[in-house]
Amino acid sequence: MYQYTEKDQQLVNDRVEQYRDQTHRYLDKKIPEDDFRPLRLMNGLYIQRHAPMLRVAIPYGMLSSTQMRKLAHIARTYDKGYGHFTTRTNIQYNWPQLEDVPDILAELASVQMHAIQTSGNCIRNTTTDPLAGVTPDEIEDPRPWCEAIRQWSTLHPEFAYLPRKFKIAVTASPIDRAASQIHDIGVHLVKNSAGETGFEILVGGGLGRTPHLGQQIHPFLEKKHLLSYLEAILRVYNLLGRRDKKYMARIKILVNKIGIEAFKEKVEAEWQAIKNSDLELPNAEIERLQSHFQPHAYQARASEDLTLEAQLNTDPAFNTWYKKNTAEHKQPGYRVVYLSLKSFSRPAGDISDQQMEAIADLADQYSFGEIRATFNQNLVLADIEQKDLYALWKALVTLDLAKPNIGTLTDMIVCPGYDFCSLADASTLDIADQINARFDDLDYLYDLGDIHLNMSGCLNACGHHHTGHIGIMGVDNKGEFYYQIRLGGSASEEAKLGTALGRGYPADKIADILEAILNTYIENRLEGEPFIKTVDRIGIKPFKENANAITH
Amino acid sequence: MPLLINRTVAEDNWLTVDKPTELPAGNILVPLEDYLEATEAFSAHSGKVAVEVTPDDDITPLLAEPNRFELIAIHFPDFSEGRGFSFARLLRRAGYTGQLRATGYVTRDRLGYMQRCGFNAFDIPDEHYQTDDVQAFDEITVHYQ
Repeated sequence: MYQYTEKDQQLVNDRVEQYRDQTHRYLDKKIPEDDFRPLRLMNGLYIQRHAPMLRVAIPYGMLSSTQMRKLAHIARTYDKGYGHFTTRTNIQYNWPQLEDVPDILAELASVQMHAIQTSGNCIRNTTTDPLAGVTPDEIEDPRPWCEAIRQWSTLHPEFAYLPRKFKIAVTASPIDRAASQIHDIGVHLVKNSAGETGFEILVGGGLGRTPHLGQQIHPFLEKKHLLSYLEAILRVYNLLGRRDKKYMARIKILVNKIGIEAFKEKVEAEWQAIKNSDLELPNAEIERLQSHFQPHAYQARASEDLTLEAQLNTDPAFNTWYKKNTAEHKQPGYRVVYLSLKSFSRPAGDISDQQMEAIADLADQYSFGEIRATFNQNLVLADIEQKDLYALWKALVTLDLAKPNIGTLTDMIVCPGYDFCSLADASTLDIADQINARFDDLDYLYDLGDIHLNMSGCLNACGHHHTGHIGIMGVDNKGEFYYQIRLGGSASEEAKLGTALGRGYPADKIADILEAILNTYIENRLEGEPFIKTVDRIGIKPFKENANAITH
Repeated sequence: MPLLINRTVAEDNWLTVDKPTELPAGNILVPLEDYLEATEAFSAHSGKVAVEVTPDDDITPLLAEPNRFELIAIHFPDFSEGRGFSFARLLRRAGYTGQLRATGYVTRDRLGYMQRCGFNAFDIPDEHYQTDDVQAFDEITVHYQ
């Protein structure tokens, strides 16, 4: 993975001291509350329902074991012993003291980490495919390009006060595991008819109150122009994006108001002025970035191991976990392993300091000391030799990280909701508990197949409810929590937005409603037809009728 | 209103004229919109004329020939407004070599970014000014952009 240069390190060190000074001046009342707000937000510090919340950047989801141990240390020392992985592959701490944040940032800087631009109206953490570099289906490793974007966007002097937040995702596979179509910019590595690799660029995706999928603005951009093209988009957006209303300020609103063609013309005009500037990426720099993401020293004869097959044949629980929680690796004899953070014992994405420490040890022992975070709030050990899978599985079972539910109904994306977030209208954690309690039969979940359930506690859609196969959104109706349910959304390469079944359902009926929806699927599905395809084929009407029958 | 020019406290040689109906003598700073509406009237002024850009302005007319002004000011109405950063970059890219001044809600914690976008003068309101503000320019010593 990427290792900081002296310059990279100097920048985060400087930023720590700058923020320490800002915090002191705020506490001395030399910076007014309203002015400190954007400053702390640009360092990931929110003021939440109970306490400040600090969001730490995990650039494109990559963590070393050393960094994971530091995150555990921070959870233990400055928080209540746990953290929460988010859909931007960042980690949040819910209980730090505002006064401690400069020290926490200094701890992070000591392991090449930071909280720069994890909030605020600026360019946020760039995300990518959690299987980058190891999946057989990718064109090339997207991470060097993510790192180029990280550097270009970090403390960019022109784009720190954008109309609204700005999110970029990069993928390099026809399979979209990064939800790239719901990003302000989606960058896809693609091949043209001449066999050259370049970028397809999408713009204007986003969820929230007015969800949109990204639209293509460039079909094939030469690699060396990536940063100049992004800068052109950002400059046009910074100048023309609406600033009068928060909910009208994302780039999706601008693109849809003037139309993708008109937007593209403006970007092209700006790009022509800067494409041959020092934003052009020289080959030497591209190669330098790529050199940090070379394949590991894999065992060439790993696939000759015979123990795995025997273990799969003799241990059904291991076999189930293998099928659900591991994925193909491009190197024969290796597997990608998902660590489920969707155990029933804690909220989705939550992880204790002991679990973090143990994962760091397992990463060192089995996976070249690296860990990845996924946008659906799980973790990945990407390079496991097949002979080690059984031992790893046993360790993960002990740690409560081996729930074999990846891709199933209970592998939910859930925002923290009303219990923590001051924006939320309704709680989410109790609804997730209700769903987990009802759908605890794994055989039933496997029979249902792949179902993505996404839940948000308000229309801001941090839990991606628009792109869940089943989406749940909490609403507050005169002090009571109700939940709207959507069907048919997807964040995959066939991304689409779900359709609401109607107005909200009462909190205590959500599991019943889901059961009615799932039964409707079971009754109507064709042989082998996944849930999402059945919804596409028969429409939401039969689901809606059966769901409404519960509450009438 | 302390004015920093090239990081040093400086005398302001320009008189800001908000409603340019009767022009005072000397060098004046007037809203770009007013200037564009009555360019000829301003060209008859005995002193020099500079323009102040506000976020909603279209700066295209300025970009054609920016160096006809010795001073261009860009107004920041509040802490969240960010268009002025792009205006500054565009003006410098268009070859503007004169004084580029940030006005309005100019505070210490944006000075570094402003300078890096091309501003070299900062009109800091009294209530926000501290003598050590000038240190803000060097808080971050390395840059990617």
